[in-house]
Amino acid sequence: MRSPKAYGVYAGPLHPLLAKELAAIVSGRALWIVLLLVCPLVGYSFVQAVSLYSEASAAALESPVLATSLSPLDGILVPTFGSLYVAVTLLFPFVAIRVLGQEKESGALRLLVQLPYRCSTLILLKLAAVLAAWAMVSIPAFSALAIWAILGGHLAAPETLNLLFGHSLYGLLVGAIALFAASISESSATAAIIALAATIGSWVLDFMLAGRSGLSAWLAQLSLTQTLRPFEQGLLSAGLVLGIVAVVCGLSALASVWLPPGTSLRGKVLRSVPYVLVTIAVLGAATQIGQSVDVTEDRRNSFPAADQKLLATLRLPLVITVHLIPEDPRYVDLKRNVLEKLGRVMPNVSVVLAGNRKDFASNSRQDTYGEIDYTYGPRSDVSRSTSPREILPLLYALAGTPPPAPVVGGEYPGYPFVTSADATWFWFLGALPLLIALSWWRSRHSPRVKFSSMAEGGQSWSQARASD
Amino acid sequence: MMTADADRGGNSAQVLRVANLTKHYGREQAIARVAFSVTAGEVLGIVGPNGAGKTTLLELLAGLLAADSGSVFCLGEELPARRRKEALFYLPDGIRLYQDRFATEVVTFFAGVYRRSDAEVAAIISSVGLEPVLQKRVHALSKGYNRRLLLAVGLLTPQHVLLMDEPFDGFDLRQTRNIIEVVRNEAAKKRTFILAIHQLADAERVCDRFILFAGGQVRGVGKLDELRAQTGIPVGSLEEIFLALT
Repeated sequence: MRSPKAYGVYAGPLHPLLAKELAAIVSGRALWIVLLLVCPLVGYSFVQAVSLYSEASAAALESPVLATSLSPLDGILVPTFGSLYVAVTLLFPFVAIRVLGQEKESGALRLLVQLPYRCSTLILLKLAAVLAAWAMVSIPAFSALAIWAILGGHLAAPETLNLLFGHSLYGLLVGAIALFAASISESSATAAIIALAATIGSWVLDFMLAGRSGLSAWLAQLSLTQTLRPFEQGLLSAGLVLGIVAVVCGLSALASVWLPPGTSLRGKVLRSVPYVLVTIAVLGAATQIGQSVDVTEDRRNSFPAADQKLLATLRLPLVITVHLIPEDPRYVDLKRNVLEKLGRVMPNVSVVLAGNRKDFASNSRQDTYGEIDYTYGPRSDVSRSTSPREILPLLYALAGTPPPAPVVGGEYPGYPFVTSADATWFWFLGALPLLIALSWWRSRHSPRVKFSSMAEGGQSWSQARASD
Repeated sequence: MMTADADRGGNSAQVLRVANLTKHYGREQAIARVAFSVTAGEVLGIVGPNGAGKTTLLELLAGLLAADSGSVFCLGEELPARRRKEALFYLPDGIRLYQDRFATEVVTFFAGVYRRSDAEVAAIISSVGLEPVLQKRVHALSKGYNRRLLLAVGLLTPQHVLLMDEPFDGFDLRQTRNIIEVVRNEAAKKRTFILAIHQLADAERVCDRFILFAGGQVRGVGKLDELRAQTGIPVGSLEEIFLALT
């Protein structure tokens, strides 16, 4: 019956394990219920987004200037996937926790850790299953994109793929939090509380501390919500991607430390320390990486191409001293219209906030409030404008470079599109839920038993009983 | 990995040795300096009442609990807790594997992990009598069939030593006899079994040798005849011997 074979202690094949993890996700109710809940959520967001976009387009069809402000990224993609974001934040942890929580509760984990796999392999494959679950939960949102394209709406591949990439990273991040929560908890209920405390807690953090400065601003940056914003703005940020990957890897490593039941609490804590330190170090390094790519079709995160080309050649340090408080709308404008764009295109830009609310409240600083000092090499100048139309010529003057000749053509045309998506309610509230329910029902079918009923030379239990 | 198959060529040498295994929960001593050894193809029964520490001892052996002190040697080589799965596989009591899944899926998973052929799997399924419930979900299995499923999983594994916690719990007399036959057949192929059993009659029927265990301590080790000689009860049952020693 048993043939002599060599079994490596960590050399188990991956495909049965991955198949088990995927089946564990599909066989539970959580995934299907979340999927059914996401249908109306995404459907409502999509129909509303199309309706608003059509209204704006109707006016824009008469005016090319208005049309340039109409981008499907802002009008359709971000709101539609925004509802998916809500579902992933609030509901997806329940799906992700299941891949580990059920094994802990049933005792199956005690067999799992005895199989020929490293704990890190077990966690990585669980994470792969979580990613697959995220892809399934996103089916309604993907279908909304397909419907938009079928209706004749415009989709720019780079910005669409970038947004999908951002949401998949966010799903992976929430999944990693849920897995870690499940690894340190004895029950799924406790794991859910921990995971939701992290996801909803960071949401609350984001709301509470929005627009604040100093420590509050730093804390707000830790919010999970912040991870999606650059992707929604059409930016692919190397530092952000590295940071998310670092946190996902760190949480996975911690989950693999806390997974095996045979290690003492002290041992687990001690083994966790290096992973926490490495994750923090990589996160710190990621914040220093300023490289990002503007993938939007309208190049909203960049200056005009000729300016981009010229600014990239300005190699001396540019120091910008801003005499504004961070909450001032002018600073927000300046940051969005000028500072962030300069930071991406120029090799050496430093921004200094000259003071805080108290400083500017004193009489001595009031007269300078609103000024922005630009120092490029030995030269400097002052402006109060937040518009690149005034600031870029100032910078060229400081650099002693004539402004570039504007490039004619290639402007973003905008994509006004008048349509109605009301009929898609039948898809989001009828056909799609029906398909999901059918798939759920199909997944509950008994699989075919592939093993032959009698092996060579073996005696079956029933035969043994008959012979008794 | 050390495989059960690798060292079964008629070698009855010591396959596992346990030295001074100790475990405390706070100030309470759960396992006190337990030491024993087991040879290839032997069925060793850890016999004791509920709460004696049998499960704790098995989990310590399997590396699923952190021991305070003590060592486990396999074929003379010390195995730290994280390497125990090279030589031991532990089937806990009272677990239901993947309750939402069908029994056949559970078997397929473990067979896939250990690269068992369909014929090998079919033989194991047949030997434990699992065929009638292969297309049932695990949560719908009776206690006895769930136990058979666990036994099938254990038989699919390749390790030298199979640790089983209360393997006969949930079986009637006839079923117990059949499971004993399955265990004896496997032991005849030089696979070693360490069974934690609280029912002494079952233990007497299946085990070659016994560790009488109470209060986390070994009260006696040996074959039935040796224990009889040790207690001076020449025709005593295991129950009488156990009562005499504990």
